[in-house]
Amino acid sequence: MKLSLNWLKDYVELPEDLTPEKLAHDLTMMTVEVEGIESLADNFDKMVVGQILEVKDHPRADKLKIVMTDIGRDKPAQIVCGGTNLAPQQKVAVSLPGSMVRWHGEGDLVEIKAAKLRGVESYGMICSSGEIGLEDLLPEPELELIMDISFVDDAPGTPLANALGLDDYIFEIDNKSMTNRPDLWGHYGVARELAAIYDVALKELPKGKLPTEAGIEVRIEAPEDTPRYAAMTIEGLQNGPSPFWLKSRLMSVGQRPIDVLVDFTNYIMMATGQPTHGFDRTQVKDYIEIRRGRAGEQLELLNHDRLDVGPDSLLITDSKGVLALAGVMGGKLDSIYPTTTDLILEVANFHPRLTRHTSQKFNERTEASTRFEKGINTQRVDDALQYAVYLLQVLQPQAKITGLTDNYPKPTEAATVRVDKAFIDTRLGRVVSQAEISHSLEKLGYEVSFQNGRFTVKAPTWRSTGDIEIKDDILEEVARMLGYEAMTFVAPTIEMRAAVRQLDMDLERKLRQYLAHTQAAQEIFTYPWIKDELFSAAGITAEAVELDSPPAPDMKRLRNSLVPGLIGAIDLNHHSFSEFRIFELAQVFRPGDYRPSVAEEILPVMERHLAGAYVGPKPMELFRQVKGMLEDLPRAVAMEELTFKQLEQPGWADSKLWLNILCGETIVGVFGLLSLRAAKAGGIKRIQSVIFELNLEGLIALPSRENSFEPLPEFPLVDVDISPILDEAVSWAQVEQIVGPMVKRIEFVDVFRGKPIPEGKKSLTLRVWFQSKDGTMTMEQVDRRVQAIVGQLKKRLGATVRGME
Amino acid sequence: MIEKLDQLRDVALEKISETTGLDELETARSAVMGRKGALTILLKELGKLEPEKRREVGQHANKLKEELLARLDERAEELLAEASVITEPVDLTLPGIKPEIGGLHPIQQMRYDLDDAFLSLGFEVFQEDDITSELYGFDHLNFPPDHPARESMDTYWLKGSEGKSGPERLALRPHLTGASVRYLQKHGAPARFVYPGRVYRNEQTDARHERAFFQYEALIVDKDFSFASGMILVETILEKVFGRSVEVRMRVGFFPFVEPGFEIDMQCQMCLGEGCRLCQHIGWIEVMPGGSPHPNVLRAAGLDPDVWSGFYVNIGLDRLVMMRYGVDDVRLFHSADLRFLRQFR
Repeated sequence: MKLSLNWLKDYVELPEDLTPEKLAHDLTMMTVEVEGIESLADNFDKMVVGQILEVKDHPRADKLKIVMTDIGRDKPAQIVCGGTNLAPQQKVAVSLPGSMVRWHGEGDLVEIKAAKLRGVESYGMICSSGEIGLEDLLPEPELELIMDISFVDDAPGTPLANALGLDDYIFEIDNKSMTNRPDLWGHYGVARELAAIYDVALKELPKGKLPTEAGIEVRIEAPEDTPRYAAMTIEGLQNGPSPFWLKSRLMSVGQRPIDVLVDFTNYIMMATGQPTHGFDRTQVKDYIEIRRGRAGEQLELLNHDRLDVGPDSLLITDSKGVLALAGVMGGKLDSIYPTTTDLILEVANFHPRLTRHTSQKFNERTEASTRFEKGINTQRVDDALQYAVYLLQVLQPQAKITGLTDNYPKPTEAATVRVDKAFIDTRLGRVVSQAEISHSLEKLGYEVSFQNGRFTVKAPTWRSTGDIEIKDDILEEVARMLGYEAMTFVAPTIEMRAAVRQLDMDLERKLRQYLAHTQAAQEIFTYPWIKDELFSAAGITAEAVELDSPPAPDMKRLRNSLVPGLIGAIDLNHHSFSEFRIFELAQVFRPGDYRPSVAEEILPVMERHLAGAYVGPKPMELFRQVKGMLEDLPRAVAMEELTFKQLEQPGWADSKLWLNILCGETIVGVFGLLSLRAAKAGGIKRIQSVIFELNLEGLIALPSRENSFEPLPEFPLVDVDISPILDEAVSWAQVEQIVGPMVKRIEFVDVFRGKPIPEGKKSLTLRVWFQSKDGTMTMEQVDRRVQAIVGQLKKRLGATVRGME
Repeated sequence: MIEKLDQLRDVALEKISETTGLDELETARSAVMGRKGALTILLKELGKLEPEKRREVGQHANKLKEELLARLDERAEELLAEASVITEPVDLTLPGIKPEIGGLHPIQQMRYDLDDAFLSLGFEVFQEDDITSELYGFDHLNFPPDHPARESMDTYWLKGSEGKSGPERLALRPHLTGASVRYLQKHGAPARFVYPGRVYRNEQTDARHERAFFQYEALIVDKDFSFASGMILVETILEKVFGRSVEVRMRVGFFPFVEPGFEIDMQCQMCLGEGCRLCQHIGWIEVMPGGSPHPNVLRAAGLDPDVWSGFYVNIGLDRLVMMRYGVDDVRLFHSADLRFLRQFR
């Protein structure tokens, strides 16, 4: 919303030394957020009122005139001008050299310079309204006409902004910051707040005398929906353009002037915050009834569209049908016409939620609906009616107010709140005098009494439509009027209890840090909604939780695995990087029955998953890197051991290269090579990805590190490599099972296939370490142990060892 | 004979001094003192001398031998000190071999930095699930029934809960605040905890708007808690993020779940309050809402608002990280683009 400083000053005597910047700051700190300040006068810099003294022909151009113009200096200015309506004595807007104008009202702003036009010196320019952005304010029928401002009283040389009443500052208020303050949606309400902030007097809103005669009959179906509806009938109006001051005021706060009758209703709203609405009297038959819509009922709009208005909308109707959506918009019949002479002025109060609902349903957010939906006090109807009478006398003195019907079943009741002084002191963090508290509230319009340490506070009705209800609201009023800037920090006193101990949180963090810092993997974030094509690339068919209105039609399903997101991320990155590691730890969802807090709240099952991908050229190597990471993980992050087994193949895994991850007997995850099919479906080319996914809910965090000490060996260990040739069918695990118990330590070195190893066989190299308690082992002792191992491998696995037959 | 010895010594010393490497030194040594060395050969003639002369020459020869040996040791030390493992020429400006790069997401880094700060103040870290209900997302938080945030145009409601309400209407959580009620219901008061997490808004995205973003919320609930004490939460967060204490101010603000409510501004870190484009020439930037939990929220959490009060702050981590590092597009955080993510260590 825009606020005019001049307009505010009509209602409140602001301190003389108050700058617009200070006012904006104070409003921001105490009341609502001011987002910007605009100085209208800046647009009219170096422009003055000029008075034409003489109009002479240009010697070398038929269409140009030489205009001698009084601009308030010793000598008149000679200005060359093409206007066709120039005449001596006329007052005009003169742009002096250095000012910025828009040529013929089009294009960018250009600077005016003193120059020769067809050989004649011209000092500045006499402007048309379009050239200085005033086309709405002072429209002209033709482009060649200059702006005639003879109506101003100001002498030549007066700055144009002052003469036209545009020497104003406009404050842009953040509407979101005043959703709870319906009283501030008009200049008078803000003036009232400023009067409180600066402790200065608030002027009374101008008033006219209300008629005593009754007007048109007003029927209210439900007081709940329509707490008040006043209809004032006016005759003898003459519609036409508004006077200059009215147009200029409306324009300055962003309202386009239409005609005097429409501008009249808008001006009342911008002044009081109370929307009003005008009906041409001839269009309303017999009576006005405010009621809910009926089945099948329609409202015809100006553009002949028809809206279905059901029982969830509040309507303004007459004996013939629907005229308007209450508080939101008018229909075809309900309008102010250029020819309107008799008017019904509606000043009413509608239920906020109902108005909001209607405005949303028909997607019509108007200045009126925005105000009604915040909850206006019914008493403001009085302000608006009396102000309307006053304004009418100013604008249309010939018009006659013939009657007023005020159907007023449900006045807004003033809220009363009781609050202990001790409560306010404690929560403020300091003791404030009773007088100071009372004063802070009274200047905002509260009635305050104090007895036995307790305030009884009666809120003004303009704050009683939901804004002020409880003692905390009063606390806030006091606090903001005392000023948050003046508040000093009070260190809280806290009670020391046990140290924070959260195994689950710690495990998450350790897992992330392990992958990032020891595995050189990069953490990524992906969205929880997954494209259908990634779901199918991942071969996931399990049922997913779905969104009602998803970001895109093909992203309605929420992830039940992190793998689809990883496939998307691999696809994205594999064009820029040939080798990389990524991971993500986030929640996944599946339909189910999960009740974290109360029995009636049944949520889908949510589990934290950790998933990652190792991407590079060699699949076996990647697979063993991931396996090695998973083998190391439990020690590194202090959790129960993991084991591996092929049990349930995931839809994205290669037919051979995958393993489930188990904690105890429970499957807690899987890792494997991304299959050719999945990679192709995911758009991944010429690169291999080994993916792992763990369900954190199945992991068991240990309360401390699991380390155990073993005394260092007294004598050095001896290591030997052995390379048995084995059938392809023999696994490393079988070898390890046999050899392991015979040595101190065993390690896999590598596997070799091809000449001279026969087809169907492989040469496996293992490294073993021997230790003796009695002393350094001799060659013979080592040899005996190697022979024993070879013997066992021959006997149990059919191995041959070259050179040891 | 003595003359010969002296001559030999002079030649040998010169040779030793001329050596440029340990191998050469060894050659020089054996040329004099080896089995076929000049000295060895010369000394074989010692036996041919008369005993008296022999003793004299012998003593001279021994001194000479010691001198040469000392010189050899000395030269060996010299050469070792000059020597290098590297035989080829060296370019010291070659870059270092970089370690493999991995890292936490920049928002996660900031989140853990904040966790550390709050843990040191004795706060717990709480995590709520991503899906919640209208009951916890709105009803318990004092949102009026017709609040615009409840509309589907702002919140991602789940399919199957259309037309339902309260605990039966489910959504991706639109903010973290509902977690405060869950925590307090379970753990009671007094309480101090933080609850970071991702939240979701149904809106059009651009460089400044995202559908999924990270928030960090902190709450203290205690007896007679003054909101003048709430600043500790604000300052803890900003000091951690910016690495130095940052000027903040509290001003009036309205949010359904707090009373009184605040907008918390920090001094613009670009211009330090002078006014610049980033802060729209105000010198301050709105960084977080805060305030005392509304009595209705405390009641929903099972706490008596006449006994308990407290202070909330809620900060958008994405925005703060953007400000801290000058990131110009919020969508990069969920892009999974390593070219972006690897910039943060």
